[in-house]
Amino acid sequence: MKAISKKFRLTKKVFSFPYILFLLLFVVVPLVLILVNAFLDADKHLTFDNFKVFFGSASSMIVLGNSLLVGVITTLLCLLIGYPVAYILSNMSSGRMLVLLYVLPMFINFLIRTLATKAIFMALDVELGMGTVLFGMVYNYLPFMIMPLHTTISGIDKSYIEAAQDLGANKATVFLKTTLPLSVSGIISGITMVFIPTISTYAISQLLSNGKIFLFGDSIQLSFEQGLYGVGSIMSLVMLAFVLVSNLIMNKFNRNSDAVRRSLW
Amino acid sequence: MKKSLKTFCAAIAVVVLLLPALCACNGAGGTSSSGRDTLTIYNWEDYIDKTLLSEFETYYRDVTGRSLSITYTTFDTNETMMTKVLENDANVDLICPSEYAIEKLLVAGKLENHNDLLKRVRPELDKIAERKANAAEGDPIKDFDPTFAGMSSLTSNGDGKIEGKVMDAIRLNFSSIEGVAGKEGAVDMTQYMVPYMYGTLGILYNKDVISEEELDKYGWGVLWNVENNEKLENKILMKDSVRDTYVCALFYMYEYDLVPEKYKGKYKTAQELINVTDDEMLEAAEKILTEQREHIAGYEVDFGKDDMLNNLVYADFAWSGDALWAVEESWDDEREDYRLGYYCPFGVSDEGRVRYSNIFYDGWVIPTTVKNPLAALMFLDYICRPEKAIRNSVEIGYTCAVAKQLLMENDEVAEYLAENDYDVDEYYADEGRFPEINEYLGVMRDFGAKNEALVNMWQRAKSGDGVDMSLLIVLAVIIGGIALAIGIYFLADAARLRPRKLRDSDDKTE
Repeated sequence: MKAISKKFRLTKKVFSFPYILFLLLFVVVPLVLILVNAFLDADKHLTFDNFKVFFGSASSMIVLGNSLLVGVITTLLCLLIGYPVAYILSNMSSGRMLVLLYVLPMFINFLIRTLATKAIFMALDVELGMGTVLFGMVYNYLPFMIMPLHTTISGIDKSYIEAAQDLGANKATVFLKTTLPLSVSGIISGITMVFIPTISTYAISQLLSNGKIFLFGDSIQLSFEQGLYGVGSIMSLVMLAFVLVSNLIMNKFNRNSDAVRRSLW
Repeated sequence: MKKSLKTFCAAIAVVVLLLPALCACNGAGGTSSSGRDTLTIYNWEDYIDKTLLSEFETYYRDVTGRSLSITYTTFDTNETMMTKVLENDANVDLICPSEYAIEKLLVAGKLENHNDLLKRVRPELDKIAERKANAAEGDPIKDFDPTFAGMSSLTSNGDGKIEGKVMDAIRLNFSSIEGVAGKEGAVDMTQYMVPYMYGTLGILYNKDVISEEELDKYGWGVLWNVENNEKLENKILMKDSVRDTYVCALFYMYEYDLVPEKYKGKYKTAQELINVTDDEMLEAAEKILTEQREHIAGYEVDFGKDDMLNNLVYADFAWSGDALWAVEESWDDEREDYRLGYYCPFGVSDEGRVRYSNIFYDGWVIPTTVKNPLAALMFLDYICRPEKAIRNSVEIGYTCAVAKQLLMENDEVAEYLAENDYDVDEYYADEGRFPEINEYLGVMRDFGAKNEALVNMWQRAKSGDGVDMSLLIVLAVIIGGIALAIGIYFLADAARLRPRKLRDSDDKTE
């Protein structure tokens, strides 16, 4: 007993071990596997052909382009819809409760929600296609935009706004010169929260277009399902690269702004 | 720091070492920790009458004197199942794949020869035979046949209880498979599988929109809406499954002479055409499938039946079992007729067009991971009995591989069909259910190394010709809108900065 207690000390660090172990097993190891698979062919020999297959075909670039466009449009739409909502809600005394209403749909599994959306479109005789996919994306990811925005905007010190008003700025100027710059950190975390999942999503596009709209996530899924691990791994790596790049850009923005560093996420 | 690092590494090592051990100790030797025998079945979703499972448990106890607990797990595509089995992730006793997947698993050395297994369980069978000899008359054990005479996979038994034509079709393609891992020379696949169900690929259609004459006239062209039926446009569903959709494109191209010049009229049987995966053919198929995108509602593997029943679409490229199930569901009391129908285009049309289609077989195989070979063999023998086979058939819609003659002779079968509101004669006369197996139906093989090219073709066909223009337009509109808003703001700002009237500033000071 003495020997054990000598070796093992219950320090603060010890509490991080379970999580580090979890990270290693379920994040680092799979990533390494993907990296290894990207360089193997079907018979497990070292090859670079997978890169040729992916980067050499116009169709994979088209799919990637479509996905990025869908991601950008969804993010912009979420921002355009979400910002006014978050702004109005944070100025209301009952705002916290109302935000809950926006988050409430997230309590239901998103597949069920998407299937329900599809049923509604079918009942209204709306033809499934790109329009319905975009709707589904915005609908599913809007809460991820509103939440960080609401937290940031309601965290802004009211005295800045009062000061601006006292100095004679009209409403638009007050908004543009104080509220907007001070909420940049919220906008950025909102964009990250929406853009990254949208470029990798596949269930929404598949369900809301009867499989006619084929996005990058669908492509990855098809590759893995058909046992093309090499190409699938490369696609996953490309996706990872996009996630990292967008994160880097967002971080840069965030550092440059001297906004209130407070966000839910 | 160093010490904690060491403890940490040790912890990882312990976990890594323990994981396989933890998994392995689960149910080793076909006997679970509670002392009961186990049997793990890995089957398609909705592909068995589940009451048979518990009945088999009782039967097993009656025969062997030991209790059995069945674990029933499912897969949704052959590919998911194969991935698991090939990566040794599936600890199961019985699997029910399609013929080409069986071939692939066999080549990979993942399947057991049923004859070898029979030898392995011989001592247990002898014990059972002894029990049988001592059992009283009327004991269920008396029904048990220790030679498994009904099973087609045990060579001495020939076709067993299985339909001869089905066995012939399987033998034609799979009786000598080369290059099986761990085996010298050719291997006969029929010794590794017991056929379970079979079916065809065809068209599930809505009788109000498509008439039988149209189907006879246009055949596979219906799925490309060649007659430009306005009601049908954008109301067609295709399968979101590479192999099925590819062969559908092949059949359509061959019927309408759209194959590249050198292939025209070249194939005298469906079998010759169905496994062609030359680059030129793939290219032609890609073009045809891209073109088809303009006419169809989408791709599905599961909701097609429901959409057809709900009148959301009017034609669906379907597997016969699914289709027959949907047809039965579509009974309309007012019209006293079915709203849907199933049509499998094969044979020569009145205009002289040659139509081919696919016939597929699903069969039971026993993987090398088998822990309870006796229970696995007994289960196969059990579900090959006509009175059990028909229950599966009625439940799932596909045609069971048990010989039609045996089904027709069996009183229990007739009784069961009548109980389920079938007209017995009509049931056996249904061409969709019991197709005449001839040279116009072909069996798909594993495409092997060509599979990758096929998947890539499918990816291209699905991704379309270019970036979606509507997306660019939407993006332009959004950015334009934002630019406009900013512009208006600056204009307003500029307007505000104009020299003002005195009254304005008076207001302000207030």
